[in-house]
Amino acid sequence: MNEWMQQHPASIGGLVLWAIGLLWLMPSGKSDKARPGLPGILLAAAGVVAFCLGAGRGVDTLQSEVMFWSFALTALVCGALMITSRNPVYGALWFALATLGTCGLFMLQSAPFLAAATVIVYAGAVIVTFLFVIMLAQQTGSAGYDRRGQFGIPAVLSSFVLLGVVVYELQSAPLQINRPETPKVAEVGGASGSRDGGTMTSPPALPSPDAPINPPPPPSVPALLSRATPETPVGSMKGLGRSLFGDYLFAVELAGTILLVASIGAIAIAPRREEGAL
Amino acid sequence: MSEITPLNYEELRSLMVAAGLFVLGAIGFLTRRNLILLVLSAELMLHGVSLSLVTFGKIHQNQEGQAFTIFVLTVAACEAGLALSLVLALYRQTHSLDIRLWSELREFDVPSPVSVDAAGASSLTSGYEGIPMLTPAGVQPRELPKTVNADPKRPDRTPV
Repeated sequence: MNEWMQQHPASIGGLVLWAIGLLWLMPSGKSDKARPGLPGILLAAAGVVAFCLGAGRGVDTLQSEVMFWSFALTALVCGALMITSRNPVYGALWFALATLGTCGLFMLQSAPFLAAATVIVYAGAVIVTFLFVIMLAQQTGSAGYDRRGQFGIPAVLSSFVLLGVVVYELQSAPLQINRPETPKVAEVGGASGSRDGGTMTSPPALPSPDAPINPPPPPSVPALLSRATPETPVGSMKGLGRSLFGDYLFAVELAGTILLVASIGAIAIAPRREEGAL
Repeated sequence: MSEITPLNYEELRSLMVAAGLFVLGAIGFLTRRNLILLVLSAELMLHGVSLSLVTFGKIHQNQEGQAFTIFVLTVAACEAGLALSLVLALYRQTHSLDIRLWSELREFDVPSPVSVDAAGASSLTSGYEGIPMLTPAGVQPRELPKTVNADPKRPDRTPV
């Protein structure tokens, strides 16, 4: 523990700064006049930067660095603003921005299809529905329960202790990954070999046509179609489709059933006009 | 064939951002009192989990992380739909989105988890002070408080 604290001062300082920024931004409700938010935002952003710098440095390519920092800052700072906004409408909009940042990070982790799907589902559908409900249910502006949180300090302290433990585990005893030989395709540029989605980074290097295709190692798990191959690198539509409709076909059917049941349930639960409008 | 190496810094910081998103969602879930913001905070936690899954999938060169994330997305969409209709149904009964109004569901002999002073006296009043807050069923009560009637021009439309 002590060794870790000496080796990673950036992580500790980042966590502390971030927590202080969050506590500053938290709605206190003592008076209607809110604190100015800018110092809290700056503290939280500085904390996020220091926290991420604790992972180590190194420049892969300039584009990927710039994109990682902008996306990570967007996701985490907008998340902090979302959970501390006094107006739920602004909270929902900050959540949309945090979703966009997360989708950028998906893109960097070679998941372009997932990034697009998340933007469509969350920013397109979920946020609009939330905004409709907020406008239906809360037409009089911010209410008293929005201007005043509960358990602010204990919640922030315990949650950041949890985050510190996770980061300690990740940094002090790094996971030993058994890396297969094939990932050469997806490592370059971080945007995978899919030509349809990874347009934001440098174009990935395609495998040379005479590259030997390794025979797959003996299966330790039954999911065979999910493994990345040079033809289907991680995140490519073809590989994802093979995984979903090969290994996880039953799960896809179950997901469809869950969607059906949930939509029927939502219609059944929602209040109807003759029972009393809002 | 394969080599065993520790995480490099890109994977490490992606996992750390994912953990940060999860913790932010947890803080929001614990500290906010608006029902809608609670659901949104749960969605933020799901974002953190999804980012972790995608990163693990890339680390192990496996499509399973992204396949699982698609299922997470599906369940999150179901959850959002159900949660919003529940929020509307709950709002119909109290005309407020305060989560503390629903601490009344506990047993009678269990003390309230939050003292009234900390909650603020004004926030604990609902529009249905006089009548028991059960699910409306059967014949409607004849007299309702004035404030409950949402539309005074049409007294025949009562919100219960």
